[in-house]
Amino acid sequence: MKSCSGKTVPPPPLPLEHPSAMSQPIEHQFNPYSDNGGTILGIAGEDFAVLAGDTRHTTDYSINSRSESKVFDVGDGIVISANGFAADSTALVKRFRNSLKWYHFNENEKRLSLSAAARNIQHLLYGKRFFPYYVHTIIAGLDEEGKGAVYSFDPVGSYEREQCRAGGAAASLIMPFLDNQVNFKNQYVPGTGEKRPITYLSVEEVVKLVRDSFTSATERHIHVGDGLEILIVTKDGVRREYHELKRD
Amino acid sequence: MNGIQVDINHLKKGEVSLGTSIMAVTFDGGVILGADSRTTTGAYIANRVTDKLTRIDDKIWCCRSGSAADTQAVADIVQYHLELYTSQYGTPSIETAAAVFKTLTYENKDALSAGIIVAGYDDKKKKGEVYSIPLGGSVHKQKYAIAGSGSAFIYGYCDKNYRENMNKEETVEFVKHSLSQAIKWDGSSGGVIRLVILTESGVERLIFYPDEYENL
Amino acid sequence: MAGLSFDNYQRNAFLASKTHSNLPKATSTGTTIVGVKFHNGVVIAADTRSTQGPIVADKNCAKLHRISPRIWCAGAGTAADTEAVTQLIGSNVELHSLYAKRQPRVVTALQMLKQHLFKYQGHIGAYLIVAGTDPTGAHLFSVQAHGSTDVGFYLSLGSGSLAAMAVLESNWKEDLSKEEAIKLASDAIQAGIWNDLGSGSNVDLCVMETGKDAEYLRNYITPNVREAKQKSYKFERGTTAVLKEKIIDICEVEEEQVLVV
Repeated sequence: MKSCSGKTVPPPPLPLEHPSAMSQPIEHQFNPYSDNGGTILGIAGEDFAVLAGDTRHTTDYSINSRSESKVFDVGDGIVISANGFAADSTALVKRFRNSLKWYHFNENEKRLSLSAAARNIQHLLYGKRFFPYYVHTIIAGLDEEGKGAVYSFDPVGSYEREQCRAGGAAASLIMPFLDNQVNFKNQYVPGTGEKRPITYLSVEEVVKLVRDSFTSATERHIHVGDGLEILIVTKDGVRREYHELKRD
Repeated sequence: MNGIQVDINHLKKGEVSLGTSIMAVTFDGGVILGADSRTTTGAYIANRVTDKLTRIDDKIWCCRSGSAADTQAVADIVQYHLELYTSQYGTPSIETAAAVFKTLTYENKDALSAGIIVAGYDDKKKKGEVYSIPLGGSVHKQKYAIAGSGSAFIYGYCDKNYRENMNKEETVEFVKHSLSQAIKWDGSSGGVIRLVILTESGVERLIFYPDEYENL
Repeated sequence: MAGLSFDNYQRNAFLASKTHSNLPKATSTGTTIVGVKFHNGVVIAADTRSTQGPIVADKNCAKLHRISPRIWCAGAGTAADTEAVTQLIGSNVELHSLYAKRQPRVVTALQMLKQHLFKYQGHIGAYLIVAGTDPTGAHLFSVQAHGSTDVGFYLSLGSGSLAAMAVLESNWKEDLSKEEAIKLASDAIQAGIWNDLGSGSNVDLCVMETGKDAEYLRNYITPNVREAKQKSYKFERGTTAVLKEKIIDICEVEEEQVLVV
C-alpha cells in the first residue's frame, strides 16, 4: 500500500511477557488471503500499449497451474490484470466487467474511455478499503487522443498514469530494468554529459523488452515461469501473443 | 505444581517423531518385542519401514517411541555403557540395562522425549523380563508393556487377552493381534509389524506385512 | 572453547526484538536430493538450485559433497551447515582411517554425523543423504538435523522430497542395475525440478560401485538451458556518466632525458 510520507507505520511493540507460548492461550484466526505468485508488466508506446503476464499459478512451493491466464481483454480496447491473490483478482475483474456492461446499458453502448475505466477501478478498490482486494492492478489501452496509456493501482485504489509499470512477484526485479530501457534512466549521450533523450519505442522493440523481462524474471524468481501471455492494444484492436517460459 | 514445569511432550520444530505402537511381552521361554514401522514429520511419512526394535546387547533389546533422534542417541549411549560394563563385569542383567536407560532419561527429562520399553532374556534366570520407562524416567517392571500413541487403543484388548505362561506361538499371535488393532485405530502408526523373539536359543526376527495382519 | 560460538545469539535475539530491521537469513537449499541402491553399489543425486526466499541465489550450485573418496553425501537444509558439517566429518573420517589403518566406512561417517548433529539439537540445519562403498559393501542412509538416522534402499530429502518419493515409490524395484538406478535417481530429481519451486536447474549425480572409484557426474542432465535473449544490451562506451574524476599519484615519477650516443 502506498503512503504519502513514504514511511510505513511500524508494527506495535512486542508485549513484554514470558517468551514461551507454553500454558498461555494461542489465538487461531482464519487468514482470508494467500499469495498466488506470478508477475505482470505494462508498457505504453506512442500509438499502442502492451500488458503482459506469466501463466504460472502457485501457493508456497507448489504449482497449481502452468496455464492460468491473468491478463484479460474486457472490450472497448481495454486490457486489465490484477496480480497477487488470484481469487481477489478474479473477483475484481468480474466486477469491472459487470460495471462495464452496465455502463454500456445505461449509456447507449457508449465506449468507455481508459481514463474513466481507471477512475471506476479506483472506486471498486476503495470500496473495500478495510478488507482490500490483495492485488496490484494494471490496465492498458489507448487514451482519448489515441496515445498508448498504462494505469497502475495499489490494493486500495491509489492510481497513476504511467509509461511503464511492473507488478506482482518479480516487480522489483523488472522495474529497474524498465527504468533503464524504457525511460533511459542512468543513460547519458557519450561525450556530452547530457541525459539520453526519451524517445518512443516501436511495438517490436517493446515486445522484445517484455520477453527479456520475463525470461530474466523466470531465471531468478521461483514464482514466475511456465508461459508468457502478451496482449497488445492498437487502434485496430487487441492482439495476443504467447511464448513458452521455463517450467522449473 | 504451578512453579517449575517442564514440557516433556514437546517435539522441536520439524523434528522426526515415532508416533508409535510398541509392546513387549514375556512368555514361557522368553520375551517378544513388537513394533509398527512408521516414522512421521507432521503428516508426512518419512519412513514406512523403520526398525524401532534396537539391540542394546545380544539378548537385551528395546522398543523406541517419541523423538527418533532422542531415542536413537539414548540407545546408542546405553549400548556403549553396557559394552564397558560387559568388559568389567560380564553380561549385564535386564534390570541393569533398564537402570542405565532410566538414569539418562530421568536426568535429562527436560531435554528428551523418549518413551522406551526395555526387554531381554536373562540366561541366568532362564526367563524374559520387561521394563517400561515412560517419559519422566520412571521404571516399571511388568509382565508385558505397551507404549506409544497407538497403545491407547489396545489397553482393553491386552488386559483381556494377555495370559501368563503362554507359549511362543500364542505370544506371537497376541502381539500380532494387539499391534494390528493399534495400527488400525492410530493414524500415526502403520507399515509392517516387526517382532524380535528372545529365547534361550537366541534371537529371532519376524516381519508381517499389512496383508497378513490387517484382517486377522 | 571447542565447537561453534553462540556469543552473539542473545545479542541478535535482543536486536531482532528491539528493532524492526530484518536480520540476514542463511541461504536455504530448498532442495530435492535422493539416493538409490543397486545390485553392487549406490547412486545419489541432487538438483542445483539454491534460494533465498523466493529469489534464486544460485542457478548451478553443487549439493553433492565428498566425505571420503568413496563416501559421498547430498545435502538439504541450510547451505552453510551442510557444507561445514560435511567437511568437518570428512576431515575426522580421514584422520580416523589413518589411525585405524583401514578404509573409511559409511557407518563411521554416519555415526559421527548423527552425534555431532544431536549435540547441536537441530540448530545445525543439515539434512543429509549419506551413501558410499567400503569393505563392508554399499550403504545408503539419511540423517536429519536433530540427529536421527534412517536406512533404506531408496531415500529422498528436501522440499522436493515428496515429488521425488512419488517417483521412487512407483518405479523402484528390487535388484536394479546400475543404469536403472541412475535413471530412477535422475527421474526422481527431475520430479522435484519441475514440480517443486524450491528445486530447479540441473541434475548432479554420483555413482558409487563396490570396489571401484566413485564417479561424480556434475550436471549429468541440463534440461534448463536459458534461451537466447531477444535483444543485446551492450551499451555504447560513455553511456555511464563520469560524475567525478580524481587521480592519485601512488609514487613519485622522475623524468629525465637519456641521450643515446
